[in-house]
Amino acid sequence: MKKPSIKTCRRFLQVFIALAFVIIPYLNSYRINLFRGNFLCFHAAGLPLADPLAVLQVSVKNWYLSPKLLIGAGIVLSIAFALGTVFCSWICPYGLLSELVHGLSKKLLPKKFKGFVTKRKGFPIKIIIFGLGFLGFLLFSTTPVLNQLSMPAWYSRIFQFIFVQHHISLAILFVFSVLLVEFFARNRIWCRYVCPQAVLLVLAKLLNSRRLRVVYDKNKCIIKKGKSPCERACTLSLDPKTLNPSLETECTNCGDCIVACKKMGQALEYRFGLSTE
Amino acid sequence: MSSKRFLRPPGARPEREFLARCLQCGQCAQVCPFYCIYMHTGFNPFISGTPQIDPRKAPCHLCMHCSEICPSNALENVPKEKVRMGRAELDRTKCHTWQGFIICRSCFERCPLKGRAIVLEKGIYPAITEKCAGCGVCEHVCPKKAIVTIPTRFVT
Repeated sequence: MKKPSIKTCRRFLQVFIALAFVIIPYLNSYRINLFRGNFLCFHAAGLPLADPLAVLQVSVKNWYLSPKLLIGAGIVLSIAFALGTVFCSWICPYGLLSELVHGLSKKLLPKKFKGFVTKRKGFPIKIIIFGLGFLGFLLFSTTPVLNQLSMPAWYSRIFQFIFVQHHISLAILFVFSVLLVEFFARNRIWCRYVCPQAVLLVLAKLLNSRRLRVVYDKNKCIIKKGKSPCERACTLSLDPKTLNPSLETECTNCGDCIVACKKMGQALEYRFGLSTE
Repeated sequence: MSSKRFLRPPGARPEREFLARCLQCGQCAQVCPFYCIYMHTGFNPFISGTPQIDPRKAPCHLCMHCSEICPSNALENVPKEKVRMGRAELDRTKCHTWQGFIICRSCFERCPLKGRAIVLEKGIYPAITEKCAGCGVCEHVCPKKAIVTIPTRFVT
């Protein structure tokens, strides 16, 4: 049997997670509670998982560390430490929606239209937004207010509202309008420039120089000039051929470029450790 | 009931501390066997997603499941005698018994802390004591809506 491609595996996991967070609140409404919670804090049959940023906010405001939350955030951060920000590309349901919308905009919008901000580096802007948001939180809020910027949390919360308390939240419009902006900008704006939840994951991955990453072998590459298939495949508009730190900060190890390169020269692959020179 | 007067689940810390600890994960709402906890749904980013109870719709029965599972200890797991979610206040001008129409013991019979939080003065007239946990059961069952539960943060 043919081995399924990276992209097939990834889509399968993404759709599975996205469906799971619809089914879990539904089961919860019948009080089946083995799995419960949302993307801010999740209880998976005894195993606690938590959003590192939410835990950071709670810990800073209380000078207190709950062991459950520490374990939860620790698991999430250590996955990012070992495998990079795979949460964004393999798990996050908003990431899935955003990718699908990006694919649609590529198909439906006229080819000439390139989108608004394609070549800009995303991470510095994200750090600025994160810094301002966190400062605002420290000064003006006791509630972990940055949680309200978490798209996966909104995704799961919308279904919690619907099934547990039969309330259709207007937050659907919020998520939908961000997706609409991303559609017309042809750029995954929220994931690249805003999402503050990813910042801690990125910092965790940067601590580890031997993490999983996509490496590029110049000798195998058969594209000499022009826009290559790998660059076209990347939904975050990065170019896998120019290896530099800022690109690696933003890359979420989704593997789309590896799939695109498979038919060409197989110059890209996943590898642990330092990139080859 | 105005949205500003909601109760917090049993074992909740003082409001400010509670808000600082609550992760808004909704697990308390998902385990409540009486379907009384629901997540705040408005657009105020500072309280959206935090748990609340409206005793007119469904009161808390002090089973304490929610405070057992709260991952960040925003709800402390305390014995139910120590819970202070609020305080029930009885309007004697509306109460059947105090008005002398009939002897109604709805609130007394249903109180989870029967005989301690609600006592019968002279064996007939219901009265709420200092031991009231503020669960809202009496408010829920009162046929005359003579009882209102004031959340702890508004009790003066």
